[in-house]
Amino acid sequence: MKQMVALATTLGRSALLVVAIGILVFFFLRIVPGDVVDVFSVEGDLTAAQADMMRKELGLDAPLPAQFAAWVGDLLAGEFGTSVRYQRPVGDLIVGAIPTTLVVGLGSFVFGVTLAITLAIGAALWPKSVFAVMVNVVNVWSIALPTFCVGLVGIIVFSIWLGWMPVLGNIWLPIIVIGMDIAGQLVKTLHEELKEATSSAHVRTARAKGVHPIRLIVFHLLPTAAPLALALSGIVLSGLVGGTLTMEVLFGLPGIGSLTLNGILGRDYPLIQATLLLLALAVVVLNGLTDLLHTLIDPRPAQ
Amino acid sequence: MIRLDPIRRRLLLSVAAATLLPLAWPAMADDPVRGGVLRYSTTGLDTADAHRHTGSIGVVQAYAEALTSIAPDGSVEPFLAQSIDVSDDGLEYTFILRDGVRFHNGDLLTAEDVVANFARVRDNVSRGWLSGAMQLVEEFEAVDQRTFRLVMTEPYAPLLNLLSELWILSPQSEGWDGQLVTPIGTGPFVFDEWLPGVRLHAPRFDQYWKAGLPYLDAVEFNLREDIDKALALRAGDLHIASVTRDTLPELRADPNIDIRFMKDTSWNFVSFNNRSPRPPFDNVRVREAVAYALDRPGFMNFVAGDDGVVTNQMVPPGNFYFDQAMHDADRHHTRDLDRAREILAEEGVNPADFKLRAVSWQNPYTQVAVQMVRELGFEIEHLALDDLGAMQRLGEYDWDIAPFGSGPRADIFMRFIRMMSDGPNPGLWGGVQDAEFDSMVTAAVREADPDRRRQHYLDAWQHALDNYYTVVMGHSQGAIVNRTEVRDWDPGFTYAPNWASGGIAHVWLGES
Repeated sequence: MKQMVALATTLGRSALLVVAIGILVFFFLRIVPGDVVDVFSVEGDLTAAQADMMRKELGLDAPLPAQFAAWVGDLLAGEFGTSVRYQRPVGDLIVGAIPTTLVVGLGSFVFGVTLAITLAIGAALWPKSVFAVMVNVVNVWSIALPTFCVGLVGIIVFSIWLGWMPVLGNIWLPIIVIGMDIAGQLVKTLHEELKEATSSAHVRTARAKGVHPIRLIVFHLLPTAAPLALALSGIVLSGLVGGTLTMEVLFGLPGIGSLTLNGILGRDYPLIQATLLLLALAVVVLNGLTDLLHTLIDPRPAQ
Repeated sequence: MIRLDPIRRRLLLSVAAATLLPLAWPAMADDPVRGGVLRYSTTGLDTADAHRHTGSIGVVQAYAEALTSIAPDGSVEPFLAQSIDVSDDGLEYTFILRDGVRFHNGDLLTAEDVVANFARVRDNVSRGWLSGAMQLVEEFEAVDQRTFRLVMTEPYAPLLNLLSELWILSPQSEGWDGQLVTPIGTGPFVFDEWLPGVRLHAPRFDQYWKAGLPYLDAVEFNLREDIDKALALRAGDLHIASVTRDTLPELRADPNIDIRFMKDTSWNFVSFNNRSPRPPFDNVRVREAVAYALDRPGFMNFVAGDDGVVTNQMVPPGNFYFDQAMHDADRHHTRDLDRAREILAEEGVNPADFKLRAVSWQNPYTQVAVQMVRELGFEIEHLALDDLGAMQRLGEYDWDIAPFGSGPRADIFMRFIRMMSDGPNPGLWGGVQDAEFDSMVTAAVREADPDRRRQHYLDAWQHALDNYYTVVMGHSQGAIVNRTEVRDWDPGFTYAPNWASGGIAHVWLGES
């Protein structure tokens, strides 16, 4: 029962957060100078009268509360509206962009977490091995090197000098670059936690009983690392949104990040509102899920 | 210097060129190879409804064509029209359509289709260049299967140039009665899969009217605004792309890249707030002093290196509307700070007493121009904003000077109109409000004779110079570069990728 109440509270809080973000996004967007008519004016030289007429046609001259009500009405009807710049349903644009973002986001997350856990466990079991060195290297790498710098160097080395991979549409380099960044954020803390775990009684006993190292890792160390990795992942996942956006722009990937940026550049309100709301929803859901999983794996904090 | 001939002669020559070039092209090239996908990136594509476009004219021409196109020298070429006859009074236009032109759905192009397109633009399009022109159209009709006749209420000189952007589409196109979703044109490539802001896939049209063309299997347009095109070119991800000038040194060093330029120029200028001028710039002599303070050769060297052209005119040397005498009489070609200070002293202006506001985009060249004015002793608050922020701020007219630039145009009128009292996007030129200037430009537009029209435009420009509405810094050409495997390609007058005598229909891919 307690868990149900906790779950309901989390869901309610998350829903409120999404609503608050939606409201903020809507009104903050209107503060940014210029609207889509200005975009068309710059590109196509509209006269003042033509620009006014266009604003009227698009409903941009309506009072803000009326515009907000129209947007909420669309959302409640399950519609994201139509892109005012491209005259295409926003839902279609988003559906086209989601696969790229999912591949880059999930790919880099899986790569980063796997790398971090591998290095942390290796360094905990064999403190004088290359694993221990790599823990520090990856950690310092993540702190010192911004992903867009690494991405740019990667393009110059692998795409321009070596010619091994394309710049536009390259999916592997972004996954590695973001993955390295994620690994760096996780690995040090995980390593410290596991170092302590290796000297704990149950691991010492298992070693004394001659348990195979792999069995030791899977059944004794991984369960110790999982709650912490999960907790850290929640934080990392939120940051992943920004990292993915940067890489999408750098590598010309048609994902949600570039779609949002495109929307912002073109002051395409329905598009920006939808993508930002979706991103906020994704962050909230991911955080909620990690909380939930954390509770399932390690019920102690909840108790 | 290119001296354009009167319009009729131009059209006749263009007819010959447009007819013969496609036939001659294969013979001039080294055994064109068929096939391959050209990866191309210049401008974006904001709408599938070509009639409603308000810009982004670097993609549409691939799948939709117009009655006319702009030749690399800036003249008008018949495109879907085989010939064009203009009456002596400049009121009646007769277009004979090419025989055997097919839409992508297989239908033959007829004069009735042209009528339907003109009617759609006249009735449904309320913005952009064409809407102004259509207001002056008295009537149009299909005389027969291949003859389209258009009558204007008054002479309108830019009409044939503007018609290069009135795309002729099949009335069978999906969304014809509202918003076009899938345009069916006559171009060498077909509008296929469009992902807004990302890409347009355009496969070849096998029944294209230029026999044997296009050579390519498809063109993949990269429509993204945020990619580093120079890197993508060097990596081989793009074959043809527009690039910024700052990337040219790295591209010139790459043996796989050819640097080419659009034939029309962009022009840079420093404008004053002409709509609500504030002291001391409400005094024309103070504006003159600023003109003396601007180091235009230095500025153009910064903007375009050795390729920059310093002149005081809207168009560069070689253009029909360029006037050598006016150019030679330019008193501000060389910077003269002493003279600038003398004028300020004569007018009783102590620069230290004034805090000016400059509005610009975030380009480095704007800092250079502002710094030159600062050297006179003015304190300047420089607001360097993004495109839209700058446009909005310009429209508030609470500023003093504005260094800006503007790109290629299909007709000189599109440059003049923006300095007219009710012109579009007037902010870049400080919102000039001058009835005398307006009447001079209007006289030029209504003049059917090219030489007399040129004189009207020159009179208007001299008037603008005398009033120091803006100080032209100079001209430079935009770079559209390509990889060396791209053959038979040279950029045109504007961003258009396809025109009567050239463009991507003629391009093929060879060895690098």
